[in-house]
Amino acid sequence: MRSQAMYFKVRAGDKLADRLLQQNLAKARSKFVDARAAAVAAYDGDFEALRSAGQGIRDRVLENLDLWLETFEERARARGAEVLYARDGEEICRLVTGIAQRHGVTKAVKSKSMLSEEAGLNAALTAVGVQPVETDLGEYIQQIDDNEPPSHILAPAFHKSREQVADLFARAHGKPRKTDIPEMTREAREVLREHFLSAGMGISGGNFLIAETGSVALVTNEGNGRMVTTLPDVHVVITGIEKIVPRLEDLATLMRLLPRSGTGQDISNYVSVLTGVKGEGDRDGPSHLYVILVDNGRASLVGSEFQDMLRCIRCGACMNHCPVYQTVGGHAYGWVYPGPMGAVLTPLFTGLGNALDLPHAATLCNQCGVVCPVRIPLPELLRRLRQRQVEAGLRPRGERIGMRAWAWLARRPRLYRLATRLVVRYLNWLAEGADRIRVMGVAPEWTAERDFPAPQGRTFHELYAQRRRTGEE
Amino acid sequence: MAGAGPEGGLAGRGTMEAGTVADDVLRDGRLQGGASGGWAGSAREQILERVRGALGRTSESRARALADIAAALVDRGHGPRPPAAADLVERFKRESARMSSTLDTVTSLQAVPEAVSRYLAAQGLPRSGVVWPSLAGLDWARAGLTLEAREAREGDLVGVTGCFCAMAETGTVMTCSAPESPATASLLPETHVVVVPATRIVQGMEEAWQLAREEYGMALPRAVNFISGPSRTGDIEMNIVLGAHGPYRVHIVMVRE
Ligand code: SF4
Repeated sequence: MRSQAMYFKVRAGDKLADRLLQQNLAKARSKFVDARAAAVAAYDGDFEALRSAGQGIRDRVLENLDLWLETFEERARARGAEVLYARDGEEICRLVTGIAQRHGVTKAVKSKSMLSEEAGLNAALTAVGVQPVETDLGEYIQQIDDNEPPSHILAPAFHKSREQVADLFARAHGKPRKTDIPEMTREAREVLREHFLSAGMGISGGNFLIAETGSVALVTNEGNGRMVTTLPDVHVVITGIEKIVPRLEDLATLMRLLPRSGTGQDISNYVSVLTGVKGEGDRDGPSHLYVILVDNGRASLVGSEFQDMLRCIRCGACMNHCPVYQTVGGHAYGWVYPGPMGAVLTPLFTGLGNALDLPHAATLCNQCGVVCPVRIPLPELLRRLRQRQVEAGLRPRGERIGMRAWAWLARRPRLYRLATRLVVRYLNWLAEGADRIRVMGVAPEWTAERDFPAPQGRTFHELYAQRRRTGEE
Repeated sequence: MAGAGPEGGLAGRGTMEAGTVADDVLRDGRLQGGASGGWAGSAREQILERVRGALGRTSESRARALADIAAALVDRGHGPRPPAAADLVERFKRESARMSSTLDTVTSLQAVPEAVSRYLAAQGLPRSGVVWPSLAGLDWARAGLTLEAREAREGDLVGVTGCFCAMAETGTVMTCSAPESPATASLLPETHVVVVPATRIVQGMEEAWQLAREEYGMALPRAVNFISGPSRTGDIEMNIVLGAHGPYRVHIVMVRE
C-alpha cells in the first residue's frame, strides 16, 4: 500500500470536517474503551503481572530472534510447511503470486493480514488473474467500497454507518437493500460462503508463530480464519519475522492479554493452532502450507532504540484509547497502521521523512502506554522519533529557525528578559484588556479552535525582581 | 535442534518439481530473476544476517543462546494465571454461558443422542447433519436423528462433535483434527453440538497443552481449535451479531457419569 502519511495534517483536517465520519466515530468512541476496562476489572488475576509477563515473552524472543527463527523454521518444515522469507512488500507479492500460479489458483480467500496490506497484495494478485476476496466482514466491506483501506486493525470498517454499508451491499450483491444488521451479516455470510468453497487458496496472517511446535496461531471471532485455513487446498501465511513466541504456555499467557486489551473479550471465539499439512487419512485441511516470514523494515529495529516496538501484538488498544485517533479516525494516518502504534511504525517502516507529522500526531498523554499489553513505551518512542527528525534536519524551516532563535536568546539572560517583557506587553495589547486572545497571528491554527489565555500582569522575572526589592526594603 | 544453516536450509530441500515459472520464485524465497542467484543473496540469508548483525551474534553467543533456547523449550513453567477454580464443572458452565453457548447435562454417553434430539426439537432445528466418525457408534437413529459420520460439507446444517478437552477458565472446548474428528464439522454447519465429558474439563490452556503433549507427543494435530461459543462479528456499527462465518449456536452436552 502506498503511504499517504505525509499528508496527515491535511487528511486530519478533512476528517474533522466530515460530519458523517464524526458521528460514526462518536458512536464507537467509548465502546472499545469501556469493553477493555470491564474485561480487565473482571479478570480475577493480576493483570499488571500479566502485562509484565507478556513483555517478558516478547523480549525473550527478540533477544535471540535469529535463533528463534531458525528453530521455528526447522520445526515447521519438519511438519511439511514451506518456510519462505520476504524482504519487502514487493517480494511478498512475487512469492504469493508465484505460489498461486504454481497451483493454478484463480481465486484466493483472505482472512485479515496487515502484511498483505503493507504489500498491496490484492492489486498484485488481480494483476496475474487471481481474484482476492477479503472475508473478514469489515475487510470485505472495505474491499467492496472500492478497496478503501481499513481504518482500524480490528474493526476495519467501524468508521462506516450501517446505512453506508447497506448501500454498498445493495450495490455489490444486487439484492434488495437491508438495514437490519443481523440480516446484512447473513447476506454477507452467504456471499462469502460461496467464495470459501470455490477458492483454491487461502491467505491469512499469523497472530503468533510457536517455535516449540512450528505452528501458526490464528485468532478470530468470525470464523473466517478457520475457513480460510481449512477449506482451500493451499494455505499461505504471511507474517512478520517478529511474531515468534517460544512455547505453547506462552501462547496461553498472551491469549489472556490480547482479547481483553483489544475487544474486551476474555477469549476470542476461535484460537486456532495450525501445524503442517493435511495428514494421512485426514478428511479436511490444506495439502500445501507456505509460511512467508517478512522483514519489510523489522530487522532494522532489532537492537535499535526502537526494538520495543517489535513486541507489539496488534491488539488495537493504543488506538482505541488515543484521543487523536478517536477524533480523526484511522484514515488520517495514511498507511496500514493507525493510532500510536502506527505513528511509530509508519515512519520506521516507510522512512522518517515520509511521515513527518505522525510522531507529532499525539498529545503524549500516555493512555496508550498505560493500556499496551506488552508495555511498549509508545510516548517515549514518539519522542525519540521527534528527536531523530530534528537531528536529520527534517523539521520545517520555520520551526528550525524558531528553535535556533529561541536557543540563542535563552543563552543571553538580559536579552531574554527584555524580549519576554516585550512579548507580554504585546500579548496584553492583543487581548485588548480581556483575559483571552481570540486570534493570534503567529499561531492561527491554535486560535482557530480556541482562545489563547492572555498573560496576566508582568513576567516572572519582573515579579521576582520586585519581590526582592520589596523584601530588602 | 535449531541450527538450520545454509546447508540445512531451503536450498538443500529438493522438494520442488522443476519446470514451472513459480519454482524460480519459490526457491530460497528469492526474488524472481534477482541479481544474485546464489544462496548468499537469498532473502532468508539476508534477513537472518541483518538480525544477526543487529544482535552482534558470535559463534560463542550462538552456542550459548542455542543451549538457552533448548532449555526454554522443555521448561514447563508458565506465566501469571487467575486463581484456580475450585469446581471445574461449575466454572465451565458459567463461563461457557458467558460466551453464549448453551449447555445440558446427561449422566451417560448413551444418553447423548436423546439430549441432542431434545435440543434440536426445542429449537425447531433440522434433525439431520454430520457427526464425528469417533461418535458414530452412538445410536443416533433411535433418537430420530440422521447423522452421517464424515466431514461437513456445504448444506450440512447440524454438526455433532466431541472434543479433546475443555477449559473451565473461559468455557472453551478444544478440538483436534484427525480422520475421526474432522475440523469442518464444528465450522460449516449453522448449529454445532459438542459432547464434553466432565472428566475432560481442565483448568485452562496450560493444562490443555499438557494433555495434548501427553497424548500426541511433540507432533500436534494439524488443527487444534479452541472454540468459545458461536462465531460472531461486531464489524457493522460495533453491534455484536452471533453467526458470522461459523455456527450461529453452540450447544454443549456435558456427560457427567
Ligand atoms: S502497541 Fe501495544 S497497545 Fe498498540 S497494538 Fe501494539 S500491543 Fe496493542
